Amino acid sequence: MSTKHHLGDSPISYHPSAASGWADHDSPRIRKTSKAGFRPIGEPSSAVKLFFPRDEDDDEAGPASQHKSPASPQIHSEVPAKRARDEGALPAPQPMQVLPSIVRDSLKASIVPKPAGSGDVSVSPAQQSHTVEPDTEGTPRPSSPSGTTCKDLYAIVSQVGEGTFGKVYKARNVITNVHVALKRIRMEAEKDGFPVTAMREIKLLQSLRHQNVVRLYEMMVSNGSVYMVFEYMDHDLTGVLSQTQFSFSEANLKSLCSQMLAGLAYLHRKGVIHRDIKGSNILINNRGELKLADFGLARFYQKRRRSDYTNRVITLWYRPPELLFGATVYGPEVDMWSAGCIMLELFTKKPVFQGNDEIHQLDVIYRILGTPSTERWQGLTALPWYELVKPKDVIHGHFRDLFSRWLSPAALDLAERLLAYDPTQRVTALEALEAPYFKEEQPPPELPVDLSTLEGEWHELETKRERAKKRRKLENGLV
Amino acid sequence: MATDFWASSHYKRWIVDRATLKESRSDDLQYVDDPEYLDFFAIFFANVITKLGKKLNFRQRVIATAIVFFRRFYIKNSYCETDPFIVIAACCYVAGKAEESPVHIKNMVAEARLFFSQQPYGVKYFPSDNSKLAEMEFYLVADLECDLTVFHPYRTLLSLCKKESSNDLQTEAGEVGVGVDDGPRYWGSGDGQLELPDDAFQLAWSIVNDTYRSDLCLLYPPHLLAITALYLAVVLHGPTRELLQHQSHSVEATPVHSSPRRSSRQNSSTSSSHSKKPSQDFVAFFAELNISMPLVATIAQEIISLYTLWERYFEDSDHVDSARGTFYGHASAQTQPAVSHSGVSTPVENLEDAQRPHGATPTFLLQVLTRMRENRLSDMAHASSGRHVAVNKMLERTQAAG
Repeated sequence: MSTKHHLGDSPISYHPSAASGWADHDSPRIRKTSKAGFRPIGEPSSAVKLFFPRDEDDDEAGPASQHKSPASPQIHSEVPAKRARDEGALPAPQPMQVLPSIVRDSLKASIVPKPAGSGDVSVSPAQQSHTVEPDTEGTPRPSSPSGTTCKDLYAIVSQVGEGTFGKVYKARNVITNVHVALKRIRMEAEKDGFPVTAMREIKLLQSLRHQNVVRLYEMMVSNGSVYMVFEYMDHDLTGVLSQTQFSFSEANLKSLCSQMLAGLAYLHRKGVIHRDIKGSNILINNRGELKLADFGLARFYQKRRRSDYTNRVITLWYRPPELLFGATVYGPEVDMWSAGCIMLELFTKKPVFQGNDEIHQLDVIYRILGTPSTERWQGLTALPWYELVKPKDVIHGHFRDLFSRWLSPAALDLAERLLAYDPTQRVTALEALEAPYFKEEQPPPELPVDLSTLEGEWHELETKRERAKKRRKLENGLV
Repeated sequence: MATDFWASSHYKRWIVDRATLKESRSDDLQYVDDPEYLDFFAIFFANVITKLGKKLNFRQRVIATAIVFFRRFYIKNSYCETDPFIVIAACCYVAGKAEESPVHIKNMVAEARLFFSQQPYGVKYFPSDNSKLAEMEFYLVADLECDLTVFHPYRTLLSLCKKESSNDLQTEAGEVGVGVDDGPRYWGSGDGQLELPDDAFQLAWSIVNDTYRSDLCLLYPPHLLAITALYLAVVLHGPTRELLQHQSHSVEATPVHSSPRRSSRQNSSTSSSHSKKPSQDFVAFFAELNISMPLVATIAQEIISLYTLWERYFEDSDHVDSARGTFYGHASAQTQPAVSHSGVSTPVENLEDAQRPHGATPTFLLQVLTRMRENRLSDMAHASSGRHVAVNKMLERTQAAG
């Protein structure tokens, strides 16, 4: 199974000048689209025409539908909307003599003036539809095979993750050799089509640009799938904390923490709550830069008027107590709790609050931070599920004792402020960046640039696989 | 950034010029008898989207986004080669998701099927299969190039106007980035706010709604549409117009003739300080916005010609939220019953003879659309052999590709 299977076996994305290579397509490549990768405005869309063929009763239906299948492997289009249309409805139904619209398209394509010397470059619509012209809007396409046309190809290297709505691959731009991350958006035609989470993520990321937020280069359509093209990041936090070759210095950890907070401060200033801060969504590259990723659960919030959201967000271990108490009215503070969890994890290398379910999660938190009281948390008793999940016995926290072997006093102070029970007391990202931990206590933050010496790439996915492999080995060894 | 219009795909990719628009209609123009019908289509389909959107309980903003998606889609496609009704359903479906008002695909299909099956549309072929809509959605999103953030004039309108009472026009609540600073202006230099009576503001709002019945949203940035709508509202709204006339008279009366604009501003600053509240200087307000007033005048002309065209378009239930009445209130009341009631049953020939130069009804436009498709199809049926060659070539390739 593998990426090849998904992407390689029907290279629908195609460029005219590469036509001679049509049969030779077994490399797992997909075509990138031009600036977001589509036809320039004004050029007709032909993908859509596959949806509107007039091919019933027609011999040509064969090629047309054959043609269709590679274009939309997941979404079948056997029942053209037209068929029903012709059966009635409109005032004067006449027997229509029809040819597939594809005929017209290919005609069009062959009419389109070609740059001199381009040879056999007639395009079939399906090819055209997913073809991505190079970033030269308005100028004729360079047609030499060695030209820029091939630059728009990505070769899949490996799978590196599993997002909220689809797999993430590492891919290489075959011309520039630059790596990117491709996130394939899984469409479920029977359900609700294009996932709303994907739409959110696209809209959000298109509008965000910050050195600590993963960069969405562009969108790309290929093989009936939509891909998001991201800058490639070598590791994620979970992966990088699980390895033992490379260990971060105090200054490195401080830098990672401050980069995360800077990213959050930017998001919150933009009115975005991430709602899924966790180790595998925090990416790190070999230059030591940290970036927040996976905005599938993120959304815009209103600063003045707080509205109701779902509280079924944020991976359990990083979920703040107010959500565990059923709050549906919340703001960016939820991210700050998660940030507090991450900060501790940076030092301890393991998630600190590992609950099995909501009740147990609260229990785990109580054991470390103590039980919340109305003095510590004013709105506590008003929360929806307070009666259901309120602490049974009073437990005293021993947070500082527990973590003083890892964290400096100033770091402990900051972590404590991030993990304040009362969301209104919790430190904001902007305030946190001003904390003595960053501003006064030695050493000053330092980018973990030595990460480039680390062998391999560390993502949660690989870590999990590695662990599973080890376990199997161990079991086999025991047997 | 979400609030940065100038960095957005809307500004960079989706503001087009007239030539591009004309080019995008070239296929349709081959098959339509009168190019004007295509302009009527713009009104007709926007009305369809608005009505369907209301059935789905969409806010105005979502409806507007759906219409923009529809227009963007038809920059790249032609009416005669697609089925606008499934496109409309997909536009509404995507707009719902993009604007945080999602509708379940099942409900979307059911609503659209029901609505389109009614008169005057009588569309009986709308697929009941969810996957058809999902497929169309995919093509739509691809043609939209995944640019799902649309800017609308409403925000500019709200940020420019100090409303007398805070009314229910907070439809922008879900707008991307609106929580940030409640929309800092991304253009111009003025920072004043216009104090408008509620009904004048409502008029401007309705004019903005009406602009979606043409290609204006593809031609001009939204803030200019908002300012033009305000400008028209100030001129057309009775009380503010009188005020305006009064002001311009007083400008002439002031001794400083060399620079009337500046004098008007002085005039306002002195008068507004001690005289009654509403007497602010509209002219100065627009001058201080630091935008191209000639461009605003051009847009105003286009809006007026939209209303002129619309005046000859007859649909039974026109929208209450339109500002049309302000322009041609009397006329539509007179002519509408005569045409729209008979329009349903009038044969095509009659319509062609009697009304073609004058106006259009939904029924008539649907007939036009059908004929365009038929003409196009029969054109293709008489294709030269060259086209078959193309098909065969394609077939070969497809087979080669497995």
